[in-house]
Amino acid sequence: MTGLLPNAFHVARREYFVRVRSRTFVISTVLLAVAVVAVVFLPTLFQASGFVDEPPDIALDVQADDLPSDPAVALQQLLTLAQAAGGEIVGRSARPTVSTTQDPAAATQAVRDGELDGMLTIRRSAEGDLTFEYLSTQNPMSATHQLVTQAAVSFAISDRLARSGITAAESQAIFRPPAFSTTTPDPDGPTQDDYGAALLLAYLVVIFTFMAVLTYGNWVAQSVAEEKSNRVMELLITAATPRQLLTGKVLGTGAAGLTQYLATVAALGIGLLANEPVSALLGVGGTGFPLPALDAWMLPALGTFFLLGFILYSVLYAAAGSMVSRSEDVQQAVGPLIFLSMAGYFVSFGALNEPDAGWVATLSLVPFFSPYLMPMRMLLTSVGAAEILVALAILVLTVIAAIWVAARIYSAGVLMYGQRVGLRTILRATRVSR
Amino acid sequence: MSLVVDAVTKCFGSVVALDNASFSVEPGRIFGLLGANGAGKTTCMRIVLDILRADSGSITWDGRPNTELPRRTWGYLPEERGLYPKMRVAEQLRFLASLYGVADGVARAEIDDWLERFRIPDYRDRKVEELSKGNQQKIQFIAAILHDPDVLIMDEPFSGLDPLNVRLLKEAFLAMAKRGKTLIFSTHQMETVEELCEEIAIVDHGRVIVHGSVRDVKRAMGRRVVRLATEGNDNFIAGLQALDGVTISARRADFVELQLTAELDPETILRAALERGERITRFEITEPSLEEVFVEHVGRRAIDEEEGHLASLSRKDTRG
Repeated sequence: MTGLLPNAFHVARREYFVRVRSRTFVISTVLLAVAVVAVVFLPTLFQASGFVDEPPDIALDVQADDLPSDPAVALQQLLTLAQAAGGEIVGRSARPTVSTTQDPAAATQAVRDGELDGMLTIRRSAEGDLTFEYLSTQNPMSATHQLVTQAAVSFAISDRLARSGITAAESQAIFRPPAFSTTTPDPDGPTQDDYGAALLLAYLVVIFTFMAVLTYGNWVAQSVAEEKSNRVMELLITAATPRQLLTGKVLGTGAAGLTQYLATVAALGIGLLANEPVSALLGVGGTGFPLPALDAWMLPALGTFFLLGFILYSVLYAAAGSMVSRSEDVQQAVGPLIFLSMAGYFVSFGALNEPDAGWVATLSLVPFFSPYLMPMRMLLTSVGAAEILVALAILVLTVIAAIWVAARIYSAGVLMYGQRVGLRTILRATRVSR
Repeated sequence: MSLVVDAVTKCFGSVVALDNASFSVEPGRIFGLLGANGAGKTTCMRIVLDILRADSGSITWDGRPNTELPRRTWGYLPEERGLYPKMRVAEQLRFLASLYGVADGVARAEIDDWLERFRIPDYRDRKVEELSKGNQQKIQFIAAILHDPDVLIMDEPFSGLDPLNVRLLKEAFLAMAKRGKTLIFSTHQMETVEELCEEIAIVDHGRVIVHGSVRDVKRAMGRRVVRLATEGNDNFIAGLQALDGVTISARRADFVELQLTAELDPETILRAALERGERITRFEITEPSLEEVFVEHVGRRAIDEEEGHLASLSRKDTRG
């Protein structure tokens, strides 16, 4: 049998340039890039347009005497701390303001008018305990509301402590937070700080893999069916071998897909870089995209799984495309493949919750699932190099087998026209064709 | 050095597309492959091209089996024309040539040359879908020969062409044959075969039922044709039918065509006319036309049958 090159290259080059120059490609790439940039800028824009909550502005109406400390200071501290720790999107210059008011009626009106977020009234009951009344139009579940409640509780406790004769210094010692640190049982795994970022990246990897398989696999199937329906296939199959055509088609489409991905990632990068200056320009604080610390080998490993997964699914999509005569019938033919990739996709979402589970480890070696599960495990847990290599080896072997099977189906399918060709007919035909 | 198709059989399920088919083509010849629709011509071509594999039998060119020959040995013009509709003419042809390993510079020069020869140089950078059917067919022909194949196989190359384009294509055929190329084509236009082909094969229901030089094939019919015109009335001509071995096959405006069995000397007709004192304006002894040969072998009924069958047959492509 003839080798793959140079015909696979010629086919891939034609496929790539025809695809990349098509209007559909240009439009979808631009839309994707715009969407990505929009997602990056959305928080900033929301903030700039006032959609995001401003820092709370609260009035204190103190009607009780003999307080152990200034409640305004305590509440202010708590709100500021929460703001700093919460990592919420908040203005850089803006701070929560807590002011003691002498005119409760005016403050009440201000709350009604929305100029103040709330007014906290502090009284002392006949039993001597402090009582709090919070006037606010805010949702009781809102963060500010809960912080105010929390401040009231601790203030009431320190007041009780003061009344039972404990000094302010002793009281402070009581309220000092204990030493608290978090460790994970797995020393090589991502640290707790990194886990959130790693989880986010794992989500993205799974979604991107799924989208690539679905979108670009479909391109491959459509393009094979088109070559059949406009009958150029008969010329191609005379000039080149089925394996050359199949490989070229998958690589050319893959390269076009990758171009679209890179354009999207470039837009993302530009968006992230531009986010800060633009935020500064708009006078709001920007937020970075959290990236976990990755080992150097991780990116190529992730890329390899992505590419192999894409090739595996694409060659089968090409075989499916060769079984129909019209592009309208493609969806029907690729149904089982869509189902398979969906299965991998949903299983990964289950696995994201328990990446350490035994079934996840097992499935991450199984081809068709490994392109989803192994990258996710690599990001979220520590996977031994041997296990990764085994998964890779199985995947590579499956890809080779898939190319072989797909080339047979393809060479039999491309000359069959008429009704949708069943897999049975195809398999019978593969026995006699080359 | 010739193309030998030897005892090739091919079945699609229960349908026998080719049944022990054998014929050979000498290099540098123009060879006509004739047969009713669905007789097995396309299947035969696809097997020669090694797009399909035969169940049994062999194909050799110059003594080498077709499975071992480089792909650029063959040029192919399929019955169902197919090009990328949205690709530009020259770009498309360069791509197809590249698959046969033709250097881009050579391909460009050849493309320009052929477009010029076919009088469509302005269509170089047009999209194929913008071209007329006839012009698309010219592009299809160029696609088949750009890599300078030794054997050119064409399935119905003349169908759908206007007379002017038929003439351009015939000229191209003869030019190729002159350069020593071997041409094999199928067609339903018998006059074209008479004009171009030295040898033919007739395929019927997968079997090669006639094979040989056009002259031998006609001779083997065992009869001759006389074209006769006289100044007299028709009575004389009607009377000729009384002679043993004479049938009137056609009455044209200016002559009558008579079929004579081999035993009957055509001069009998001439003598009979002279004896009656007729003034003879035309007397011509010829061989039966290929069309008659074809109808004789394949049968008018068989053709009608096939055509009715085809209309209801959706999988005709696999049988050709």
